[in-house]
Amino acid sequence: MGKKKSAVYSVEVNGIKDIETVDEGDGKEKYRGLKNHSGHKKDHQKEELKKELDLDDHKLNTTELEDKYGTNIIRGLTSTRAAEILAQDGPNALSPPKETSEIIKFLKQMVGGFSILLWAGAVLCWIAYGIQFAQDNSVSMDNVYLGVVLALVVIFTGIFAYYQEAKSTNIIASFSKMIPRQALVIRDGEKKEIPAEQLVVGDIVEIKGGDQIPADIRILASHGCKVDNSSLTGESEPQSRSCDFTHENPLETKNIGFYSTTCLEGTATGMVINTGNRTIIGRIASLASGVGNEKTPIAIEIEHFVHIVAGVAVSIGVIFFIIAVSMKYPVLESVIFLIGIIVANVPEGLLAAVTVSLSLTAKRMAKKNCLVKNLEAVETLGSTSIICSDKTGTLTQNRMTVAHLWFDNQVYQADTSEDQKAQIFDQSSATWASLSKIVTLCNRAEFSPGQENVPIMKKIVVGDASETALLKFSEVIMGDVMERRNRNRKVAEIPFNSTNKFQLSIHETDDPNDKRFLLVMKGAPERILEKCSTIMINGQEQPLDESTAEAFQTAYMELGGLGERVLGFCHLYLPEDEFPDTYPFDAETMNFPTSGLCFVGLLSLIDPPRSTVPDAVTKCRSAGIKVIMVTGDHPITAKAIAKSVGIISANSETVEEMANRLNIPVEQVNKREAKAAVVSGMELKEMSTEQLDEILINHTEIVFARTSPQQKLIIVEGCQRQDAVVAVTGDGVNDSPALKKADIGIAMGIAGSDAAKMQQTWSLLDDNFASIVTGVEEGRLIFDNLKKTIAFTLTKNIAELCPFLIFIIAGIPLPIGTVTILFVDLGTDVIPSIALAYEKAETDIMNRKPRHKKRDRLVNQQLALYSYLHIGILQSLGAFLAYFTVYAEQGFKPAQLIFLRSEWEDDSINDLEDSYGQEWTRYQRKNLEWTGYTAFFVAIMVQQIADLIIRKTRRNSIFQQGLFRNKVIWVGIASQIIIALILSYGFGSITVLSFTTLRVQYWFVAVPYAIVIWVYDEFRKLFIRRYPGSWWDKNMYY
Amino acid sequence: MAALQEKKTCSQRMEEFRHYCWNPDTGQLLGRTLSKWVWISLYYVAFYVVMTGLFALAIYTLMWTIDPYTPDYQDQLKSPGVTLRPDVYGERGLQIIYNVSQNSSWKDLTQTLHTFLSAYSPAAQEENKNCSSGQYFIQKEFLAANHTKYSCKFTADMLQNCSGLTDPNFGFEEGKPCFIIKMNRIVNFFPSNNHTAPRVNCTFLEEHHKDFKPLEVDYYPSNGTFSLHYFPYYGKKAQPHYSNPLVAAKFLNIPKNKEVIIVCKIIAENVSFDNPHDPYEGKVEFKLEIQK
Repeated sequence: MGKKKSAVYSVEVNGIKDIETVDEGDGKEKYRGLKNHSGHKKDHQKEELKKELDLDDHKLNTTELEDKYGTNIIRGLTSTRAAEILAQDGPNALSPPKETSEIIKFLKQMVGGFSILLWAGAVLCWIAYGIQFAQDNSVSMDNVYLGVVLALVVIFTGIFAYYQEAKSTNIIASFSKMIPRQALVIRDGEKKEIPAEQLVVGDIVEIKGGDQIPADIRILASHGCKVDNSSLTGESEPQSRSCDFTHENPLETKNIGFYSTTCLEGTATGMVINTGNRTIIGRIASLASGVGNEKTPIAIEIEHFVHIVAGVAVSIGVIFFIIAVSMKYPVLESVIFLIGIIVANVPEGLLAAVTVSLSLTAKRMAKKNCLVKNLEAVETLGSTSIICSDKTGTLTQNRMTVAHLWFDNQVYQADTSEDQKAQIFDQSSATWASLSKIVTLCNRAEFSPGQENVPIMKKIVVGDASETALLKFSEVIMGDVMERRNRNRKVAEIPFNSTNKFQLSIHETDDPNDKRFLLVMKGAPERILEKCSTIMINGQEQPLDESTAEAFQTAYMELGGLGERVLGFCHLYLPEDEFPDTYPFDAETMNFPTSGLCFVGLLSLIDPPRSTVPDAVTKCRSAGIKVIMVTGDHPITAKAIAKSVGIISANSETVEEMANRLNIPVEQVNKREAKAAVVSGMELKEMSTEQLDEILINHTEIVFARTSPQQKLIIVEGCQRQDAVVAVTGDGVNDSPALKKADIGIAMGIAGSDAAKMQQTWSLLDDNFASIVTGVEEGRLIFDNLKKTIAFTLTKNIAELCPFLIFIIAGIPLPIGTVTILFVDLGTDVIPSIALAYEKAETDIMNRKPRHKKRDRLVNQQLALYSYLHIGILQSLGAFLAYFTVYAEQGFKPAQLIFLRSEWEDDSINDLEDSYGQEWTRYQRKNLEWTGYTAFFVAIMVQQIADLIIRKTRRNSIFQQGLFRNKVIWVGIASQIIIALILSYGFGSITVLSFTTLRVQYWFVAVPYAIVIWVYDEFRKLFIRRYPGSWWDKNMYY
Repeated sequence: MAALQEKKTCSQRMEEFRHYCWNPDTGQLLGRTLSKWVWISLYYVAFYVVMTGLFALAIYTLMWTIDPYTPDYQDQLKSPGVTLRPDVYGERGLQIIYNVSQNSSWKDLTQTLHTFLSAYSPAAQEENKNCSSGQYFIQKEFLAANHTKYSCKFTADMLQNCSGLTDPNFGFEEGKPCFIIKMNRIVNFFPSNNHTAPRVNCTFLEEHHKDFKPLEVDYYPSNGTFSLHYFPYYGKKAQPHYSNPLVAAKFLNIPKNKEVIIVCKIIAENVSFDNPHDPYEGKVEFKLEIQK
C-alpha cells in the first residue's frame, strides 16, 4: 500500500501529475488488459496488437525515420508520392463500426420475437384457408382476411419500430458527427492545409495548441507542447511532448502524439507514422467492436414470453385437436380448429404496445438527459445490479473548488455546492483579510473578457484548475478580483515550477500611505512552511514555534487525508528602506528575500461531489444496486469522494481501518466484517480472478482507485461473473471495450469521445450520476409497466379462446368470430395497453432488489396463471353470460344450444326451431350469431375496463395508487367504449365485420363480472400486502 | 452477460427439464412439492367451484327472468322465412332436377313430400280444433287441456290434388309437380293488420324468363292462402300440437329440359320479401328442371 507515503498528497499547483511515479507499469498493464481480453476473441486482433508492440518509430532518429518512410523532414512528401500512399493505405479516418445495413435492420424488426409468432399465425391462416378451399371452394374468406391482417400488423409494427429505432439512433448520430478537420502539412516544401483525411504516412504535419492531433505522429520538434491524452488513457493531466525518446513503451514515450488526442498548448512538428485504423485509437476501437454484442435483457424477456405464449397456444391447440378428432370431427376440420386456437392465442396488438411503451419511455428519458441508442436498452438500466461509475465528472463536478480553509489554528469549511452561494465561515478575522489578499494576488488566472453577465461559477477562466478555483473563490467572497489586482500592481513574479513548488509575486499595496511592497507566495504547504519564521494568528504575527508547527502538521494531514489538494499561503511586507519604490526586482536572480516569511493559512481544494449524487447513491443502495467507483485517481482522493457521496457509507470500514482500530495486523482481520474496500490498480494487477471475485462478493462498498482504464474491463467481467447486470460509465476511447462488455454502457454526453459513444447503449447528456438513477427508475418502471401491459393483454386471450373450445366440445353456435377477436386485439385494447406505459411507479419501485436476470422474468408463472386461469376465466364466464342472455332472450335457451352446431350452420335448413317453436332461416340465425359476437365482444370490452383498472397496480390498492393520476388510462377506457359503440352502432349494417346493433341492456350484462374482477383483485393485493412471503404472496404476486 | 449467451447443449436442456419434472433434492414435482401441489389444486378447485356457482346463479336468474311462453325479443324475426318441400339443395340454393321418364329420379322427391305430410294426417292432427272462421284465432286464456291454447287443424287433404292422397306422385310423373310452401312460425306474428289472409304467389323469376309465358299455377287450398285462423302462433308451450298451415302449388306449364327459376312469394302486409341478404325471408326461390 502506497498510502502512508502519499497521505500528504498532491501539492503541485500547476501539477504535472504524478502518474509516472505511481504506475510505472501502467503502459504494460494497458497492453495486458487488451491482450487478455482480445486474445480469445479473434486471432487477427492478437496479431494487430502484436504489431502495436512492434512499433519502434519512437526509438529511431530522424534520419532513420526519413529512410523508413521515404520522406524529407524539411520538404515533406511530394504530392504524387502522397497520392500513391493514399491510394494504397486509404484515407486517414476510422472506419465506422460495421453498421448493419438499413435493410437488415428493417428485416430484423420484421422477424424478431413476436413477429415470428404473428407470421406463423398468418401462414397458418392461409394454410387453413387452403385446406378449406380444397374441400369446398365456396368457403368464406375469413381466414384469408385474418392472415392478411396478421401480416399487416407485423409489417406496420415493424415499420413503426424501425422508425422509432431510427429516430433515436439519429439523435446519437448527430452527436457523433464531426466537423471535417484540417491539417497543416508540409508537402513539396510548402505548407498547406489539407483535410485530415488525406494525410498519409510520412507526411510532416504541424500542430498547435487547440488542434486535435490528426494521426499518430512521431514528434520531430516541439515548443512547450502539451497534449491531453485523456481520450486514450483516461488521465486528464496534460502531458508534455518533445522529440526525446523517453520510454520503451510507445504509449509512454514523449515523442509520440496520438491520433484524436488534443494538443493543449505549444506547437510541434511531427511525422505521420500511422493513419486511420492503424492508429492506436483505431486499433482499440476495432478491438471494442470485436467484443461480442449481447442481447438486451428485455429482448431475452420478450423471447421468453413468446416461448410461453407459443407453448400455451400449441399445447392447447394440440390437446383440442386430439379432443376434436376423438369427438369424430373430420381430421381436416380438426386441423382448422387447431390453427384457429393457435391464432386466437397470438396477442396481435402487443407488439405495437410494447414498441410504443418503450419509445414513450425513451422520450421521457431523453427529457431527463438520458439518450438511448436502442429502444430495448430502455429497460436494461432498470435491471442493473451493479453500477461501475467513474469519478471525475460523474460523481464530482469536474472542477477544483476550495473545500477547506485553515487559519487562526482552525479549520473552516467552504461551500462546495455548484453555485457556492453560502460561504458561511468566519470572515471577520484579520488573518482572513491577509489570506484573501494573498489568494487574490498570487494568482495568474484571469476571467476571459466579455462575461460580465455570466454567473461567476460559469465564467470561463484562463488558467489551470487550482488557480481557477482560487480565482472564483475570491471573486465570490470579495468581488471584483481584477480591480483589486489593478490596485495592487504586480511588480515581479515567479510562476510555479515543479522544482520550486511555489509561486510568488510582489505587489505594490493599495494603501497610499504604505509604501512597502507586499510579497505573496503560495505552494506546497511544507515548502511554504520551510520559508516562514512567523505565523499570523488573529492578525498578529507570532513566531513559529513547535506547537504552531504541530498544529499546522495536524491540519495539513487532516485536509490531505480528506483527499484534498492543500496549498499553503504566506506573505511578507518588504521593508521600505531596503526596497524603495524604484527597487529593480528581478525574478531570475531573486534579489529579494524568500525566507523568513509570515505563514498565513492553508486552503485545500477538491473536485467536490455533485450535490445530487449522495442522494442518488442512497437511492441506488435502497434499490439494491451496488455502486462501485472505478477511477484513475489517487486512492485517498477516491476514498474521500466515495465517503462524501456515500459510496462508502459513514460507518463502514475497510480492512485496513479495522486493523488500525483493533490494533491487529491486517491479516487477522475478518475480511467479511469489513463492508468497504479500496483497491488500487497495483493490487488489482496482482490479483487472481478468484481474489477479485472474493472482493466483489464480500464487500458491498468498493472503490477501485488508480486503475488503468483497461482494468475496468476486468472489473466488469468480474461483476458479470456474479450474474450481475453491470452498468458502466465511461468517456474515453480506452473505456470502449469496457463499455461494450458491460450490459449497459453509459457514455457521458459532454465529455464522451465519439469512439465511446459508438459502443454505448446509453448516453447521459449531463454527465450526472443522478441521471443514472433516474434511468434506473425509468427502466424499472417500464419493466413493471410492460408486465402490466402483457398481463392486461394476455387476460382476454382466454376469453377469446374459451368460446372456440366450447364451440368444439359442446357444439354451441360460435360465440365470437375471428374478425371480432381482431377488433378486440387491435381495436379496443390497443390504447389501454399503451396507457399502462404511462402508469406511475408503485411505492416500492426503488426499494426492492434489482431483478435477477435469470429468475425474475417479465412473464413469470404467476403472471401467466393469474391472467389465464383467474381473471381470464372470470372474463370468459362474464362474456358467456352475455352470450347466453342474448340467445335466451331471442328464443334459444342455453339447453337448446348444446350440440346445435351442425344444424345451426347448415345452409339448407331454413326453418330451424328454437325453444319457443319459432322457425329461423339461416340468415336470421346468422344475424343472431353476430348479435352474439357483438354481445360477447362488448362483454370482453367491459371486463377489459375492469382488467385495465386492476392492472394499474400489482401490489398497492387502486385507491393507494389513485384512480385518476394516470389520465391516459381514462383516455384508454374512453377509447374502448367509443370503438365498441362505433362498431356496434356505426357499422351495424355492414355484414363483413359481423357486428350488429346491440340492445342497450346487453352492454351491462357483464358489469357484475367486471365488479367481481375488481373486488377479487383488490383482495389479492390486500392479502399480498398483509401477508408478505406467504403462500398467497408467492402464488399470486406477478 | 456472457452467462445468458451460453448455448446450452441439447442434453443439458433435457437434463434441466428432467430436473424440473422431478427434483430429487427438494422433492419438487414440476416445480412444486407434492404438498404445494395439493394446496394450489385445492385453491383452484375452490375458486372454480365458487365461479361455477356464480355462473350457475347468473344463468338461473336469467332463466327466471325469461317468459316461458313468449321470447323477450324477436329482433331477427321481423318477417317469417319461407321454405319449400321437397327441398334439395344444389350448389347455390334450392335446385330440383328430375326426369319424368325416370321414376327413380323423382321417387325421392315424392317420398320427401309423403314424409313431410305424414305430420298432417288426420291422426296426427287429432288433438287440434276444426277451424273455419278465416279470422285471427286470438286466445287470451289457456282454455285447452293442460293449460294450453287451442291449435287449428291443418290436414293434408286440404291440399286436394297435391295432398298425395289422390295422386301419390304429386304430379311429378306428368311434369306438373306439386311443391309445398311453408311459412315459418313466429310467436305472436300477425301477417296483416287488415284481416286479409297471406297468399302465395309463384312466378318465374322475371329477369330470367322474359320470353316465357307466365307461369300457370294451381294453388291448394284455393287462392293459395294461409287461413288467418292459424294465426297468431302462441309458441310451443301454449300450442304444443300446432302445425304450420301449408300451401301447395302445382306448376302446370314448366318448359321441359330447361332450367327455370321460380320464386314463390308470400303476399301479406307484414311479410317482406325484399331483404337483399336473406333469400328465404318472405319468399322462396328455386331452380327447377324437368327433363324428358
